[in-house]
Amino acid sequence: MPSKDFDKLRDFLPLSLRRNAFAQGVLCLLPVMKSEPLQPKESEPNSTGALIRLVADLLENGDYGQRVLEVDSDNVRILEMNGALSATVPIAEIHNARNEPVVGGGRLEITTKNGEKLALISYTHTIAARFSEAARGIEQLAKGEELLVNLKPQKTHCEKCKRLLPEVDGVCPACVDRGKTLLRIARFMLPYKYWAIALASLAFLTTVLNLVPPILQGRLIDEVLQKHTNLPLLFQLILIWVAIALTSSLINITRDRIVAKLAGSIAADLRATVYRAIEFLQLTYFDKKQVGAIASRVTTDTDRVWGFLVEGVPYFLLNGLMLIGVAAFLFWTNWFLALCILAPIPVIITIAVRFWKPMTQMFYKVGQKWARFYIHLNESLNGIRVVKAFAKEDSEFDKFTRRNMELREAGVKADSRWFTIFGGMIFFSSLGTIICWLVGGAMVVRKELTLGEFYRIHAYLALIYGPIQWFAAVNNWFSRAMAGADRIFEIIDMEKEAYLHDNGLKLDIKGEVTFEDVRFGYDKSNPVLRDINFVAKPGEMIGLVGKSGAGKSTTINLIARFYEPDSGSIKIDGVDYREIELQHLRRQIGIVLQEPFLFNGTVAENIAYGKSDATMEEIVEAARAANAHNFIMMKPDGYDQMVGERGAKLSGGERQRVSIARAILHDPRILILDEATSSVDVETEKQIQEAIGRLVAGRTTFAIAHRLSTLRNADRLIVLDRGKIVEVGTHEELMEKKGVFHKLVETQSEIQEIIGFDLGQAEAAK
Amino acid sequence: MTTPTPENIRLFHEPRDVLRMTVNDEYSVVQVEPRWAAPLSHPGQLLGLMNSKGEEVMLLPKVASLNVQNQEVIQRELDRRYLTSTVHKIVSAKVEFGATYWTVITERGQRDFVVQSLQENAQWLGERHLVFVDIDHNRFEVPDLDKLDPQSRKFIDSIL
Repeated sequence: MPSKDFDKLRDFLPLSLRRNAFAQGVLCLLPVMKSEPLQPKESEPNSTGALIRLVADLLENGDYGQRVLEVDSDNVRILEMNGALSATVPIAEIHNARNEPVVGGGRLEITTKNGEKLALISYTHTIAARFSEAARGIEQLAKGEELLVNLKPQKTHCEKCKRLLPEVDGVCPACVDRGKTLLRIARFMLPYKYWAIALASLAFLTTVLNLVPPILQGRLIDEVLQKHTNLPLLFQLILIWVAIALTSSLINITRDRIVAKLAGSIAADLRATVYRAIEFLQLTYFDKKQVGAIASRVTTDTDRVWGFLVEGVPYFLLNGLMLIGVAAFLFWTNWFLALCILAPIPVIITIAVRFWKPMTQMFYKVGQKWARFYIHLNESLNGIRVVKAFAKEDSEFDKFTRRNMELREAGVKADSRWFTIFGGMIFFSSLGTIICWLVGGAMVVRKELTLGEFYRIHAYLALIYGPIQWFAAVNNWFSRAMAGADRIFEIIDMEKEAYLHDNGLKLDIKGEVTFEDVRFGYDKSNPVLRDINFVAKPGEMIGLVGKSGAGKSTTINLIARFYEPDSGSIKIDGVDYREIELQHLRRQIGIVLQEPFLFNGTVAENIAYGKSDATMEEIVEAARAANAHNFIMMKPDGYDQMVGERGAKLSGGERQRVSIARAILHDPRILILDEATSSVDVETEKQIQEAIGRLVAGRTTFAIAHRLSTLRNADRLIVLDRGKIVEVGTHEELMEKKGVFHKLVETQSEIQEIIGFDLGQAEAAK
Repeated sequence: MTTPTPENIRLFHEPRDVLRMTVNDEYSVVQVEPRWAAPLSHPGQLLGLMNSKGEEVMLLPKVASLNVQNQEVIQRELDRRYLTSTVHKIVSAKVEFGATYWTVITERGQRDFVVQSLQENAQWLGERHLVFVDIDHNRFEVPDLDKLDPQSRKFIDSIL
């Protein structure tokens, strides 16, 4: 339904729905019928009688349009926008409800107690998370539980300009208070306010000094050159001119040095502020954004802002003063001539304003083409071995040529347009000069103007057209700087992890970890963990087992509080871990990952990463425990050996042992091992297993291992399947049970047998 | 067990909203999900029928190889599963504040959407085949730029 019709319906009172008329059977499916229009507004629970009311954005036939999901304590209903009831499912008959993710959206599926599966309503991704939450609410009602769902209405359009927001519940970039943003970015200048004042003063002085030479030149013409006499005045004026040129140069040098200082300082402050803010952002933010996009906030956006602050603001002042000063001088010298020569200025401004936006769009397109070009170049060079191995040089060159041509075409088009527009502006600028000669020349002939006055006016012309062009472009510059500032402040203002200013408990934990009804999804519309309940006792080793995608890594992400449960709670020693100060909690959790990340530095620095005050003896001791000492000693620089970017100068097994040493020195109460031995050879694995054996002693450990046999030493195994716990027990218990775990072990054994068989065949073939 | 072929299968919903497949009236796969193998590059071809464990039961070269009744059933299921919109016309497109704002007419009706970072979210699947992914991960496909009207092409050409 078109939104205007929808808006009309808002004024109607809500339809008193036929609460029980269709609730006789398990499901009543009705043809769409004309009825009273319903109130289409979404609402929070309990505000209009219905417990849940959500508006979907797809009709039954898949067209864009609106349908309503309404849930009360008795029924789930689907209503069309004309108020007609399409479906009713009594809550009492519901077994479960879920958001079924589909390509480009989702649909609400309900399974009834007699096994029927009902696809009730479809919607796009835009609102899928809300329907997932509604599904959870329906399940709560079906189980007779209290309704605990978060269905806060989403803001997708700007309330002021109705523009679609670039992010749900985000800020409208068109309506953002630029004054407020400007004030916020101006605060970055506060620590340098005296330098900024000096800069503004020097800008004023520069303007004044720039106005003097034409006056001197005018006097030279009128009082010396035309009269063919008065050499002393010539020397006097030249001396003043030299003094002005010298002062002007000194001022410019000082001004530019201040600009350099301000630019460097403000840029560093901005980058530090943004980086610090990014460090404390929740991991969900990093899941959604590419590293390059995040990094550009620290580089490009900060560049735009400081560029505007340091160059824009002073030049705004300088050019503004110049314009006023020159215009005043022109009118003071001869108002009629001034009016004539300034006549082309409105045309120049019109051209600049009219064409600036399309030009920006064209340069944006060139940027896109550059990005495509870079991606291809980067890929083909990084994958040069593969390219050569498959003899694909020619096809890669074809691709390169296509990207290169695209780039050329976009670049040529944009530059051609730009030079055409620029040429037009230059023409109208030169018209000012021509008018000056035409009108001014005639006035000189008629002796209404001296030659010196004419020359002065002519000289001022050059000083007026430059600032005019600058002002024509400044709006775009200002917009880009404000957009950059908004993106920076968006990060600064974004909800952070509860790291800083946290008044949480500083609990010295023993290591009991309790999951209570935990539910979590990276995309809230699609939970990957549901109804997770278990208790890990202090010092216990828990193996997390399941197929790929079962939820093992998600479970340990929750334990490390990289994410927090959408519902339910995780308790450490009986305390909800959200009440514990995050930094204090993480200091007591250690992680050894499948692909350990080492920082570019020495081996010793990496081992001491979690304990920066560790002594060399402690570092060596940790390395010994991690079976890393011997290989480190064999390196030319021993513990001072640089590991390279991401530890690239070490082998996989070496990196892993350094990361175990790091975890040992960190001395955590809770330890997480995520596939710590999966990517190394058998001998290295043995050494790592020994190291892990020392590491886990006395710590609550959660381990994920690809080879299930390596979890034999775990006190208990938790078997996950599709986000739910399906089995819990020791290795032996689960093997005896012959359930899911048994099947996983069998499958793995079969694979190993097949590999062994193949190897045997290969050996035989030799 | 008879191997399923386009000729010997029967597709129907039983119970309601659950797609079921019987092969030669010998046996049934009680919950079947159709999945396109390459919905963007090879639309209408290679349709996999998957069971509830996510294993392929059969791969149809084309939906048209099924009888009319089966085609209708499978189409109903596909319509529910694939909500990607195909762009027929671009009403407006503009770059503002680092994002692109689009108003398009699709086979489902008119829709406004915002795309951020075109490098990542305007995916070229061929020289003239384009998919936009908006900020909510909704997808808008332009199967062939040359089939759009000149004004729509101009919008794309001015930005991409």
